[in-house]
Amino acid sequence: MNAVFSILLCVSAAVLIVRGDGDALLASLTAGAGDAVSACLSMSAAYLVWMGLLNVMRQAGLMRMLSRLLRPVLRLLFPNANDAQEAISLNLAANMLGMGNAATPYGIEAMRRLNASNPHPGTATDEMCVLIAVNASCLELFPASLVALRQSCGSLRPTAVVLPTLLSSLLASAAAVVLCLVCIRPCRSRSSSCC
Amino acid sequence: MPIAIFVLLLILYAAIRRVPVFSAFVQGASDALPLLLKLLPTLAAFSMALRLFADSGAQTLLTDALAPVSAALGVDARLLPLLAVRPFSGSAAHAVLLDLYGRFGADAPVSLRASVLLGSSETVFYTVALYFGAVGVKRTRFCIPVALVSMLVSVVSGLLLCTVFFGAD
Repeated sequence: MNAVFSILLCVSAAVLIVRGDGDALLASLTAGAGDAVSACLSMSAAYLVWMGLLNVMRQAGLMRMLSRLLRPVLRLLFPNANDAQEAISLNLAANMLGMGNAATPYGIEAMRRLNASNPHPGTATDEMCVLIAVNASCLELFPASLVALRQSCGSLRPTAVVLPTLLSSLLASAAAVVLCLVCIRPCRSRSSSCC
Repeated sequence: MPIAIFVLLLILYAAIRRVPVFSAFVQGASDALPLLLKLLPTLAAFSMALRLFADSGAQTLLTDALAPVSAALGVDARLLPLLAVRPFSGSAAHAVLLDLYGRFGADAPVSLRASVLLGSSETVFYTVALYFGAVGVKRTRFCIPVALVSMLVSVVSGLLLCTVFFGAD
């Protein structure tokens, strides 16, 4: 990120100088930062609404309900998760409800528990890889912050992207799960520890 | 409409479960502003750099240079910056999206595509670093390739789905 940021600034400044328009630099920088400020300001209304509703959902036990629904599937995906099972299902449930901030502590807790029974510390176990691959493919039932951002930018149809987003992330998650199983299968048949 | 029904059911269900709905809402909402304040500096830094990049004309030079590449891949060149930063930083990706909204409008075909691509992928490298870093795992085996292929799946399927839902660009 440092490199990207520096290159963006240097290249743009160089182009401006070559064009003899160096004075425009400060105006562009300020306008850009202003874009971010106004986006944050108008997003704050939508964030207040969604974070409030999400907390009502959590306190009403919807996250636990979803995590209980997920458990049979998770038992197939994480056969050796033992005591990490609950943290894993809470992590995925929070992710699906779009509560990234709530998901991270559960995810890290799950990793700790998985690592406690890791026969080769320093090397990822099958369960860890599956957990992270699923997390990195981001299955979200309703992309609240994306809708909030679209709303704040004056979109007439802020929720138009919800269905394609959901379908596309479903496919990505399915691909992640299938690929993980394909990668694990040969290892397990060749007994304990390879790869 | 579905959102109205969802909110109605949620509040009713929460009330039946004897959740203090008002204070739960306020408690959740109180986390919103700190979250945005944490997001703002990164978002501002990237919006600033991107705005300068666009205003200076450097972006046009780059898009023109990349046009053959994106034509070969069948991807809109204006989406390439988003795809390039998405696996590394969520705020940078949001800044790119915001930039597209600003230039073409939030409902333009390119903005709709960018929204779907952003919404259906994750900060792969950040997630991997965070979770494996937390337990000191160095050998990550098949995890990163699998995560990247799944991101590729989300990009390809996202673009196809956009054509289905919103028509060709």
